[in-house]
Amino acid sequence: MRILRGALLLGGLALLACGLVGLLTDPYVTGPLGVLLWAAGLVALHDGLWLPLVCALGAATTGRPVLRGWLVVAAAVGAVAVPAVLRAGDDHGNPTLLPLPYLRHWLLFLAVTAAAAALAALVRRSVRKARPRGR
Amino acid sequence: MDRDPSPARRRFDPPLPAPPAALRRGPFRPGAFRSPAHGPRTAVVLGRWLGAALLLCFATGLISHLLQDPPGWLAPHLPPRPVNGYRTTQGLHVIAGLAAVPLAGAKLWTVYPRLFEWPPARGVLHLLERLSIALLVAAVLLELFTGLLNTLQWYPWPFPFRQTHYWTAWTAVGALLVHLAVKAPVIAAHWRRAGAVPPSVPPPVPPPVPPSVPPSGRRAVLAATAAAVGAVTLTTAGQSVPWLRALDLFAPRRPGTGGLPVNRTAAQAGTTAVPADWRLAVDGPAGYLIGLGGLRGLPQTTADLPIACVEGWSADARWTGVRLSDLLRRAGIPAGSAVRITSLEAEGPYRVTEMPAPYADDPLTLLALDLDGRPLTPDHGFPARIVAPNRPGVLQTKWVARIEAV
Repeated sequence: MRILRGALLLGGLALLACGLVGLLTDPYVTGPLGVLLWAAGLVALHDGLWLPLVCALGAATTGRPVLRGWLVVAAAVGAVAVPAVLRAGDDHGNPTLLPLPYLRHWLLFLAVTAAAAALAALVRRSVRKARPRGR
Repeated sequence: MDRDPSPARRRFDPPLPAPPAALRRGPFRPGAFRSPAHGPRTAVVLGRWLGAALLLCFATGLISHLLQDPPGWLAPHLPPRPVNGYRTTQGLHVIAGLAAVPLAGAKLWTVYPRLFEWPPARGVLHLLERLSIALLVAAVLLELFTGLLNTLQWYPWPFPFRQTHYWTAWTAVGALLVHLAVKAPVIAAHWRRAGAVPPSVPPPVPPPVPPSVPPSGRRAVLAATAAAVGAVTLTTAGQSVPWLRALDLFAPRRPGTGGLPVNRTAAQAGTTAVPADWRLAVDGPAGYLIGLGGLRGLPQTTADLPIACVEGWSADARWTGVRLSDLLRRAGIPAGSAVRITSLEAEGPYRVTEMPAPYADDPLTLLALDLDGRPLTPDHGFPARIVAPNRPGVLQTKWVARIEAV
């Protein structure tokens, strides 16, 4: 275990240094500060805005696991789909880029998964009513 | 991290003073996070999934980088087989990267309370470890964000995508290995579900849970994360996996409808109007110029080769044209030569590309004139384009003007 940890630590530090030195010396990356600012900005948005929102939503939906699950799925697919929705139509004159009706697909996805989640929640509730847990 | 370091260790890991307790407010309060799912077992399970996805991204990304921009010593050894090699590795790269979005989200949610641990830094080593985690999180978020937007050809940032994505990947994997080394005891303790918790890591005190909530929210978190990964994969992977195409809702490319996708149109490259007197120049000891009629008069070969893009999408196509090796032998260029290919486009990072010898010699590498039985359209590289097996799409040079030995 000690040898493995040591090897991981040294190897990791070497790769880390390699990446940082590469970023600082690459002739095409003329403004490494910009990279740092964008990375820091992403962390600040994620940890300072997004996660507090997730925690608040989580607290507001305590005891409703199906709703929570649907929110998780909708958020994950949204992270991938919303950039395409925002970007749809901006194809630089290339009709093979972003060819789908992304907004319609996104609303369709939300509607279908919400309906499925509502159904699952109903089934869950009726099953729990029919078989109350012994306490 | 050991909580009770030996005296020898204290020498190079001096403890840091704790900030005044009055500052311990908001999320820093003890018990601010109540969900039992924030525990280390959830973090270990999600960490395994996320680690696998990130390492797959790193390996396939490295393959892509080496195929696209090989160092001199490697170029003569690049394999033109398997024909579908690059479409597979790069398809996996984007699939794993998109799957890592919900995985990273769930993992960071799980360990979010650790961001507010008190005191913020117990000692110098602890401070360094936390800084390495900040680097890890920043690098991973930057990789996922730039990679996702690159598939949309959306570049709102002031730095070049490819080089930044490449070097940040090394940073991320380095920080990941450091993280694994630091957390090895916690990972080992929680590797199995019923794993015993070692005394150095006190078990989190479970808060009282309302009776309607299952004893652990862990399974619910893992199930929701798995469902999210499945949903993201199924609704995007169709751009690289043909049998998932029917479920593709959000991928930025749709091979199969509207013909073969292109990355750079003739209008973007400034090659919509090819000069009427276009003739291909093949430079060599017996160099020559040859027009479209002359090329069509040479023996024609048909090959099924995919176009596979660094952005993850790929599509099958049937190409007909002249074997590149035939053109090179006619110019007196011997087998085993690497060649330089120049496009008609006025500018662009891939206007001039070099093709290592294994591709130039391969019987499937064509100077293609026809796509799916019809002459090339301007967007696909009229009058002639290169197509070779197991190569990134940007190197399948369109609108070819000149071919020469390097």
